[in-house]
Amino acid sequence: MFNELISFLNENFQTLFIISVFPGLSFVLGFVIFAVWYQRKYLARLMIRMGPVHCGGRLGWLQLIADALKLITKELIFPKAANKFLFVFASIMLPVIPAAMIALIPFAPGLVIYNASGLSLLIFFAISTLFPVIGVIRGWAANNKFTIIGAFRNIYLDIAGEIPVFLSSVGVMVWAGTYDLNEIVLRQQGMWFVIPQFLGFIVFFLGLLAMVEKVPFDIPTAETELIYGPNTEYSGAMFLNMMEADYVNLLAWTLLMITLYFGGYNGPTIFADPVVNGVFWLILKLLVAITIIFTIMISYARLRIDQAVRMGWNYLLPLSILNLLLTLVLKYLLVGGVWG
Amino acid sequence: MSTGLKGYSPFGEIEELGDGLFRLNIGPQHPISGQGRFIVITDGERVFDIEMDIGYSHRGIEKILEYKTFVQGIVPVERMVMLDTSNILMGYVGAIERVLGIEPPPRANYIRTIVMEINRILSHLYALGLLSEAAAWNPAVFLWTTADREPFLDLLEMLTGARWSYSFFVPGGVRADIPNGFIDRLRKTLDWFEKRIEVYEEAWIYNELFRMRTEGMGVVSRQQAIDWGLAGPNLRASGVPYDTRKNEPYAAYGELDFRIVTHNAGDSYARGWARVEEMKVSVDIIRQALDNLPEGPVKTRMPPRPKPGEALFRVETGRGEMNVYIVSDGKDKPYRIKISPASFRNFFTIEMLPKTQEVLLADVPVLIYSFDPWFLDADR
Repeated sequence: MFNELISFLNENFQTLFIISVFPGLSFVLGFVIFAVWYQRKYLARLMIRMGPVHCGGRLGWLQLIADALKLITKELIFPKAANKFLFVFASIMLPVIPAAMIALIPFAPGLVIYNASGLSLLIFFAISTLFPVIGVIRGWAANNKFTIIGAFRNIYLDIAGEIPVFLSSVGVMVWAGTYDLNEIVLRQQGMWFVIPQFLGFIVFFLGLLAMVEKVPFDIPTAETELIYGPNTEYSGAMFLNMMEADYVNLLAWTLLMITLYFGGYNGPTIFADPVVNGVFWLILKLLVAITIIFTIMISYARLRIDQAVRMGWNYLLPLSILNLLLTLVLKYLLVGGVWG
Repeated sequence: MSTGLKGYSPFGEIEELGDGLFRLNIGPQHPISGQGRFIVITDGERVFDIEMDIGYSHRGIEKILEYKTFVQGIVPVERMVMLDTSNILMGYVGAIERVLGIEPPPRANYIRTIVMEINRILSHLYALGLLSEAAAWNPAVFLWTTADREPFLDLLEMLTGARWSYSFFVPGGVRADIPNGFIDRLRKTLDWFEKRIEVYEEAWIYNELFRMRTEGMGVVSRQQAIDWGLAGPNLRASGVPYDTRKNEPYAAYGELDFRIVTHNAGDSYARGWARVEEMKVSVDIIRQALDNLPEGPVKTRMPPRPKPGEALFRVETGRGEMNVYIVSDGKDKPYRIKISPASFRNFFTIEMLPKTQEVLLADVPVLIYSFDPWFLDADR
């Protein structure tokens, strides 16, 4: 029995490593820890202050781990009128969904958790539609006025953001002629798709900010109005899950943006091993992307929900359709056909 | 739209109002509420009514003052607005001087003017930080303004010995003369601060998203501002050129030349803009006061007891005009002091706005902080 387990582990070492260490579970959790630390330190610099300095020396790198330990040991508080099952269910499911989306992203040639036989981009979007559903369940289950308002805002914003995001990535699908993310990356070896798909990229990026609920689109969790939006009633480890879900969602969508528009893991050869080289370039692009998103977070005010929804339907949606039409015309003129 | 919420309220109020409306308690435990509560009647996004609930921080300062001698009363009266202590104290000290029948020497008046204008800058900086945070600036601008208050706080510590509550004005003058090196340091700080104001305008006042959030929101027309008794920069942002410093000069304001900042829009943006412009005016006033600083003593003798009588003193605090009314029965303590602060009047304008225009729930924090209210000021 024990020997069988050992031999199973040995035979499937690579698969297990990919799932559990990189780019699987450990990487995702490590990114959350890093991103929270990086956000706090980076924003602190822009705000003329120090950020966390008490745990882990001047750099404060232990701060999030200390916070997490504190939150895990705290009592779970359930509101009197909450639906307890859905309340807990939503807090467990919410980080899982964006983590499942990451499984489809190619990190290097051949390094992908789930190889979806040519349909990975469509499956990515299919999974992503579950996120707002769980987001609404968490707000409804808590049975609090602030959470229910946050949940409704979540629906408005996700519908206004997701359709332009999907339509602008249809432009990439048409240009590349494939649904497969790995194939899309391979076709960007000559030129990143951000150049032929610039209009689509602008729409995608604004929609992405709405999907990850960062300023100027942090409307569902608007602190000054709704305390913490749908997450208001969560405490202890469940609160930790909610925070983790935010950052895993950020990771998933940023990785998709890099894969679709910035050449994914492509880059000049620095390391001889193509896997190491691919991972290096992907992580570097990821850092640049989250730095830009954090800078935007601090530079702009929050839109009102009506302004955000109007922007989604009146500007982003027509622009994404225009981008799709332009892509079709351009491809027809250059290649002589829209397929392939 | 029905929310399907089960009624549960620690205050035992009726939660369901019919037609999908419900009551939302913003405060007293809420990131923006401060020491009070805003009861908002809403359908989820649109706000139909706002009810103010003040009094959570009532300390009975007016009553306390009846048991203190005139000089002892300085400390409790400063606790009304800790950000703006010298302007508040000017109202109290000025009223006492009127009832005692004494005049401070001219040098004391100029020093008072300098301290009060520095304090106005500090108060407006804090108000701008809160307004930016209400419009979801992540706390970036708030922390910038907080950091920029430090050089002025250091200067006031050099002059008065305290950073926040100075107790520097006394009936008959100020406690101490200006120390060596203070004037040069103040001039340098003012030069630096003018550059900082440009940074705020660049990053914040002209920021497109900030304008989207504030322009045309919470409009108070000129006539409404007069009818509702709005005060201070909020009144001037509605186009009423009323400033107590100009209309009924006190301290050295009568001898200095400065403009009254007005804006015709009367919306939240105009109120934020007016505060930035007033900081520029304050810098100008301090420069003039430093240039014209007369020589002489800084304090006159204060008689121990006033004659029986009464006096009213108006003062322009950071949040608007404050009236202090003193009745004296000839003892060394006031018989009655009535303080009418500006924040009280500004607060109740917020109640009127949903009745005259469409207000969304997301507008409520911006609306509140565009008026720069201060619960401790309103509660006293």
